[in-house]
Amino acid sequence: MTHDPALLEMRSITKTFPGVTALADVNLAVRAGEIHAICGENGAGKSTLMKVLSGVYPHGTYTGDIVYQGEEVRFHDIRASERAGIVIIHQELALVPGMSITENIFLGNEPRRRGAIDWKAAQRRALELMEQVGLQEDPDTLIKDIGIGKQQLVEIAKAFAKDVKLLILDEPTAALNEADSQHLLDLLRGFRERGITSIIISHKLNEIEAVADSITILRDGRTIESLDVKADGVNEDRIVRGMVGRELSSRFPDHLPDIGEVFFEVRDWTVRHPNSAERLVCKGSSFHVRRGEIVGFAGLMGAGRTELAMSLFGRSYGVYLSGTVVKDGEEIQLRSVADAIRHGLAYVSEDRKAIGLNLIDDIKTSMVAAKLQKISTYGVIDPVGEYRAAEEYRKNLKIKTPSVDEGVMKLSGGNQQKVVLAKWMFTDPDLLILDEPTRGIDVGAKYEIYGIIQRLADQGKGVIVISSELPELIGLCDRVYTMFEGAITGDVPRRDATPELLMKQMTSMKKTPTP
Amino acid sequence: MSRIKDLQKNLFGGTTSNVRQFGMIFTLVAIVLLFEIWTGGLTLTSGNLIAVVSQYSYILILAIGMLMVIVAGHIDLSVGSVAAFTGIVVAKAMQEFSIPWPLGIALGLAVGAVIGAWQGFWVAYVGVPAFIVTLAGMLLFRGGNQYIGNADTVPVLDGFRTIGAGFLPEVGPDTGYNNLTLLLGLAACLGVVWREWKTRQTRRTMNADVAPMWITVLRLAVMLGVIVFATLRFASGRVGTSLPISGIILIVLVLGYSYYTRHTIGGRHIYAVGGNARAAELSGVKLKRVNFLVMMNMSVLAALAGMIFVARSSASGPQDGLSWELDAIAAVFIGGAAVSGGLGTISGSIVGGLVMALLNNGLQLEGVGSDMVQIIKGLVLLLAVAFDVYNKSQDRFSIIGSLMRPFSRGAPTAPAGEPRPAPDSDKARVAG
Amino acid sequence: MRKFLTRSLAVTGAVALLALSAACAGEREGATGAATGDSTSAAKGFAADALIGVALPSKTSENWVLAGDLFTDGLKQAGFKSDVQYAGASTTVADQQSQISAMVTKGAKVIVIGATDAAQLATQVTQAKQSGATVIAYDRLITNTPSVDYYIAFDNFKVGQLQGQALLDGMKAKKPNGPWTVELFSGSPDDNNSGVFFNGAMDVLKPLIDKGDLVVGSGQKDIKQTAIQGWKAENAQQRMDSLLTSTYNGNKTLDGVLSPNDTLARAIITSVKGAGKPIPVVTGQDSEAESVKSIVAGEQYSTINKDTRKLVAETVDMIKALQQGKTPEINDTKSYDNGVKVVPAYLLPPVIVTKANVAEAYANDPKLAPLTK
Repeated sequence: MTHDPALLEMRSITKTFPGVTALADVNLAVRAGEIHAICGENGAGKSTLMKVLSGVYPHGTYTGDIVYQGEEVRFHDIRASERAGIVIIHQELALVPGMSITENIFLGNEPRRRGAIDWKAAQRRALELMEQVGLQEDPDTLIKDIGIGKQQLVEIAKAFAKDVKLLILDEPTAALNEADSQHLLDLLRGFRERGITSIIISHKLNEIEAVADSITILRDGRTIESLDVKADGVNEDRIVRGMVGRELSSRFPDHLPDIGEVFFEVRDWTVRHPNSAERLVCKGSSFHVRRGEIVGFAGLMGAGRTELAMSLFGRSYGVYLSGTVVKDGEEIQLRSVADAIRHGLAYVSEDRKAIGLNLIDDIKTSMVAAKLQKISTYGVIDPVGEYRAAEEYRKNLKIKTPSVDEGVMKLSGGNQQKVVLAKWMFTDPDLLILDEPTRGIDVGAKYEIYGIIQRLADQGKGVIVISSELPELIGLCDRVYTMFEGAITGDVPRRDATPELLMKQMTSMKKTPTP
Repeated sequence: MSRIKDLQKNLFGGTTSNVRQFGMIFTLVAIVLLFEIWTGGLTLTSGNLIAVVSQYSYILILAIGMLMVIVAGHIDLSVGSVAAFTGIVVAKAMQEFSIPWPLGIALGLAVGAVIGAWQGFWVAYVGVPAFIVTLAGMLLFRGGNQYIGNADTVPVLDGFRTIGAGFLPEVGPDTGYNNLTLLLGLAACLGVVWREWKTRQTRRTMNADVAPMWITVLRLAVMLGVIVFATLRFASGRVGTSLPISGIILIVLVLGYSYYTRHTIGGRHIYAVGGNARAAELSGVKLKRVNFLVMMNMSVLAALAGMIFVARSSASGPQDGLSWELDAIAAVFIGGAAVSGGLGTISGSIVGGLVMALLNNGLQLEGVGSDMVQIIKGLVLLLAVAFDVYNKSQDRFSIIGSLMRPFSRGAPTAPAGEPRPAPDSDKARVAG
Repeated sequence: MRKFLTRSLAVTGAVALLALSAACAGEREGATGAATGDSTSAAKGFAADALIGVALPSKTSENWVLAGDLFTDGLKQAGFKSDVQYAGASTTVADQQSQISAMVTKGAKVIVIGATDAAQLATQVTQAKQSGATVIAYDRLITNTPSVDYYIAFDNFKVGQLQGQALLDGMKAKKPNGPWTVELFSGSPDDNNSGVFFNGAMDVLKPLIDKGDLVVGSGQKDIKQTAIQGWKAENAQQRMDSLLTSTYNGNKTLDGVLSPNDTLARAIITSVKGAGKPIPVVTGQDSEAESVKSIVAGEQYSTINKDTRKLVAETVDMIKALQQGKTPEINDTKSYDNGVKVVPAYLLPPVIVTKANVAEAYANDPKLAPLTK
């Protein structure tokens, strides 16, 4: 198998967005009939590479060559790549919930006879395809009535309906349970027997180790290495080393922590998914935060970090099942966001544009939004108080704007993030939960935000930092919890924290949570 | 250039003003002048101004409530039906149980509050989109009007008619004007000067840039000029007529609600909910309560508008309130509110409403048929919003803007990251 | 600060003066004839080229459109300036209110009003009266106000009686002996005339119903049950559809339908045809072109010729008399009480039209005459 010719070669692919180089000189070679895994941290460039391949980013918007089946190809849109037999199955499935399995399989690709859709032929073909992917359902069943695992199979059947030669799966098992994941992996092996080539993008390294023939590791938009699983004797540790192997440079301000006693404690926190009764997004999580301590939460996508934070913050996510919160020795009830704010919690969301800010507001309005009472008497807002508060934060946090009357929409990502931080600092919190506080921010602004976080800790506040960048957690935090599939799997003090250790605990249940 | 910019920024309403509001006021003035010339000076006669105010005050009252509903991201289609329903209930109650008219008004407001609570409940606590709830309400209360009134016209008492057809009484010495209207005008002038002075002081204490003096003076001059002119016109109407009572109710409501929306926590929360409901919720805003109150408030104002119309028409009839919702919604959008919520001002909506009112009035004075009037109003609505959309897209995609983008710091870097769905993406949004 | 005050005072003073001079056109007008509500103001007469306002309901019936055209022409020929307005289709009452206000503003000397809702115009009519205009209620009597000067219309009670009689005649011609099964329809409940028509018809039909010669198949005899909101064809058709389903589903035959006007009559016939039933005797009113065709074709049985030309011509004559300061001709001073006063009225006699006299009745009508040949 190793001597099969390359089905696909991507050579020196470079893709830039304004201000950012997403892919720099990336190479990828996939042999016919193999399962090829692409690994890398969040933001390493995996999805961008796949979008280049499938024509989402059309030819001309990137540089480099794509050679497919021995010929150079130039895809101008997704349809062009699909015609060539390249089909991507995205993490968010592209199915119409209210339509049947058959209708979904042939959506946009309906078999026609004299202009009308030939439903009989479609039904027949659908049954064949469903058998190929091992899906036993009535083809008239609506998508919304089958589980996520079966939906995934419908997506694959849909790909087969298009006569797929190269199947690309982006995080196919992220939302699946153990049994469904296993079925999917078996299916991939079956495809390999039949000569179909697959590319799989996954964070679950154990699965990759089990199923992949070769692995390409990306980091910061570059190809780090390509490994042959059998020949190179690859295991999980080896992959982790490739993924995180960069050096920690002095990207963090110097800081001497001044850590006090434990003041915030969460015990046995269990929350289920808002729409699905059996899916637990937090499974009996317990953790604590000390005064003056910066605590990191590491985990891969879907590990449940954001869900944990938001469910704590006034039950803003999911359905609360059990668990208690103790602050300063007393149990507190956090039934609403207002409760959480009153008890000194602040949550800076990971998606500042979608849920952190009202983008049509101006800066000063945004900054005081979470505690208007502070600048009001009898419900009437004092414009002077508002202005002064905003000005103070503008100066302290060095927000680059001509005036606090400007709209937040006009600010850069880093300055927007400072506004959000100001908004929550204005509520005088004891515990700040910062979810991906540096996402989409340039290096200079990151440094400043790290400084702000450290200052907050020095004021005796507890700070929780959720981040997908391991170096950030290791450089900034005094202690790091790792999470995997809704459970806390590790509690690592700074001195022990290495990317390898964290990555290992983030990708398996092996280690039991440290109390 | 900078002077023109200063003017745009400061002349009408300080920092919140925008091109659109400036444009609408300009349009309003243009319409007034156009018709003043076209009708040979009829538009600005006392009699006509008084008629316009009493004819459109109820639509403008609806526009106040509708603005808040639309800012919160909803819509209310039921206002006309609610108005008609309240009107018939009050008229019947006064006719059959001969309750005194002040009690009748109180009853009407209570009916509005109950209807509002009903609609607010479905919108806020059950999560049915306001469009559906109020579409249902439109049918429900229209039917209710016909059921209670037997599709008949029910006359109301003379005392009750004050709120729709009454005027400020004639008191004091014969000055050739209505004295109370003059006093009101004087109070308005003082109020405007005081507010301007207060604004300057506030800006100064917070060390913010104060508008240049010449602008303040010009602005005061324009505003005082308008007030003095309007006062004299309203005060010099035929003996027995002056500023209509419905106009006074309108002014009080405009001032009150403007203050509420601009300067209070409750008002701020409405904008927050409409701008980004999820962000507001995560900032501790009680989403459901805000939605409930906004819908309820709308129905109370609709009830008031309905009563004013009934008072003016001297009877409640089955055709009351027909397509009022459309007029009110049009006024709000012409006045610069965003369809997606979160943007818009009371004063803008009033200006939008006045544009429609004066357009209507001017065309009628010219003897243009109601069919053409509708066509023209439709086009005005379309053009006003298109102008806004065009302006915004210019802002976003202007050539200079896109040339400058590569040089601006912190440009969007998002596409490099993995698509990561926000955990709430599948959580049902409670919004219209 | 002082500079600010002096400057602002200076500028505002100047503007105020300007505004004052613009606004201060002079003394306030008094309220003419406000309290009395009589027609003394008319006695003085007015300019021969004065503005005459005509406010009509929305263009839902061709009759109103015709009336509007006739007014425009007639007033022009008489030397007046005219302003003829129709209410909007969906905002009838409010539109008419503001149209009347606009006519007052423009200084109309006589305002002719075909009311959309006869009870909801008191404020505007009073306003018109106070401005010195004479108010003529055209076709529909305006109620609850002392400010209406005259009422001009066809004798609507008579119309009802003729309709009732025509219904009986038509059914007798088809089936000489009773009992006959009928259904009753009446006009919009917000139109003052609906009741008058209905009562006129019942004046003829009631004795027969009481005797049992006439049977209302559905039993719906009350005006509240028979009313068609807004005079709308679709509402009439709906009601007829449901009557056919509920009452005439078997072999039961329907002999006649009392319909107050042509629009509704045609809707009723459409409904009956749709159900595949034989067409009963259906009355009408207004002489609409489609109905005249229908009568000639033998479908609709009768209509009423209330010649809009005559009514408009009489109204214009009335206006001419007012212009010269004379009291216009009236022929009824006691029947039309609008709740506040008895309005002096001029009533024109209606004419019943069936297939028998259709050619003769419309011989002088340029639009309808060709249809009868």
